Amino acid sequence: MNASAQATPRAAPEPLPAIRVAHVRAPLGERVAAWRDQHFYSLFSSLGRMSARPWASGLTVLVLGFALALPMLFWLVYDNARELSSGMREAREITVFLKPELGTDAATAVATRWRTRTDVAEVTLRSPEQGLAEFRHLSGFGEALDALQDNPLPSVLVVMPKAGREGDSGALLAALQADQDTDLIQYDAVWRRKLSGMLHLGQRFVAVIAALLALATLLVIGNTVRMDIQARSGEIAVMQTIGASNGFIRRPFLYAGFWYGLLGGVVALLLVGAVEFALAAPIRALADSYSRVFAIHGITLQVALAVVAAGTLIGWLGAYVVTMRHLIVGRPR
Amino acid sequence: MIRFDNVTKRYQTGLDALAELSFEIGAGEVAFVTGHSGAGKSTLLKLVSLAERPTRGQISVNGRDLARVRSGTIPQHRRGIGMVFQDHRLLTDRSVFDNVALPLLIAGTARAEIGKRVRAALDKVGLLAREKAAPVALSTGEQQRVGIARALVAKPPLILADEPTGNLDPALSLEIMNLFAEFGAVGTTVLIASHDLMLIKHLRRRVLVLDHGRLVDDYRPEAAA
Repeated sequence: MNASAQATPRAAPEPLPAIRVAHVRAPLGERVAAWRDQHFYSLFSSLGRMSARPWASGLTVLVLGFALALPMLFWLVYDNARELSSGMREAREITVFLKPELGTDAATAVATRWRTRTDVAEVTLRSPEQGLAEFRHLSGFGEALDALQDNPLPSVLVVMPKAGREGDSGALLAALQADQDTDLIQYDAVWRRKLSGMLHLGQRFVAVIAALLALATLLVIGNTVRMDIQARSGEIAVMQTIGASNGFIRRPFLYAGFWYGLLGGVVALLLVGAVEFALAAPIRALADSYSRVFAIHGITLQVALAVVAAGTLIGWLGAYVVTMRHLIVGRPR
Repeated sequence: MIRFDNVTKRYQTGLDALAELSFEIGAGEVAFVTGHSGAGKSTLLKLVSLAERPTRGQISVNGRDLARVRSGTIPQHRRGIGMVFQDHRLLTDRSVFDNVALPLLIAGTARAEIGKRVRAALDKVGLLAREKAAPVALSTGEQQRVGIARALVAKPPLILADEPTGNLDPALSLEIMNLFAEFGAVGTTVLIASHDLMLIKHLRRRVLVLDHGRLVDDYRPEAAA
């Protein structure tokens, strides 16, 4: 019985190759066109599925929007603080207030004496008159100052140490401090170092928050897609039995993740825009009161695009991980 | 077309669903697998479609040794098989047309070609007029015929059917079985698992009879006649 059955395929070999060629491989151009069709179909059908459940999808997108908006707002605060502090870049100079009883000639002599030191690059002398004029200009107390009979300001030396590491000016600082003609020294680098330490902490804080919330976004999208997969596990099983590849099954879910991420990113931008709008007027008023020595900037187009792109990528990735897991667990052995 | 060589399938529970099974089905043959429930009919079909792997023995389908088909190429293997289920397993959120088109979509067939082939398949099962209907709007017999159209639309060389008439009345069952018999006439191999002995006798085709995973009879009406 086996012999006769074995002979059958050899006796009629023609129909098999014909059938196989017909259904397994189409010409390349046709396959590319079909592949493109499938992607377009998945792109829009996944959007259709989301809009079929507007409440669930809307809530998910809102959660994602908030998760993406928070690190953006923190970043804005950090970036503005960094920009404001950059005005204090020239903080290596040491300001020396000379004893008030020193006259102009004595002050000039002191300045000349300090210039001879090897670790000093430059010494600028500011007379009490110059100091008063500057103070009048910056403080807005012009009229009050006119009421003074004497100029209460001392001569000031602005000492610029030779370029080197910040800690290197310690010896010079000690010498200035110890000098008999010195009343008080003010060295901005100390608090400048504190500020840059705080900014560094702020930067790290923003990065950590952003990483945590990116992870939260990944989990939210992953979980949403996972529930979606569970609801359609019967459909997936049918597709697998009729020969759908993993890529084919995965595709609509990946596009769902893509849409969640993209829409979440857009919602985040809207939220940040709303916050900026709400804060714009008080900040402008505050800046005006400081004679506009600072200005606040918002989110740039590049940052906005980067956030939307990151959201989209995270959405895709979350969907990918969850779908892969489902497909690997359900693989026949 | 299908060749089993000393195939044993033992499930993790320790149950031997199939034991040392050997048989061969030629191209274009229409054959039935029968036996009481639990005799191993479904397991046999699952081994052919690679939903399960054999514990021992060798299976080849269309000249290819299934042990050599790796996980990644299982979908490719299944595209050469049309599957029909007792509960037809249609996707309820899509139209009849979209259900039948699914295998072609999966295979990456061009859109114009899909329309032609789907209508040809629906015409063959007599449902051309219902292409836009939702599967739930159809009768059980019609749903099963949509399932058959889906199985044959990609013109696979092999069709497997697991109790395709399990939910149908005798008249409908005969109609469905006759449909399967027609495919054999055009060179498609058809393997049908069924316990409907009356119907099988009536069709006068080859019958493999399983009992507790063993082949107890291989009945060929043409040889007997």
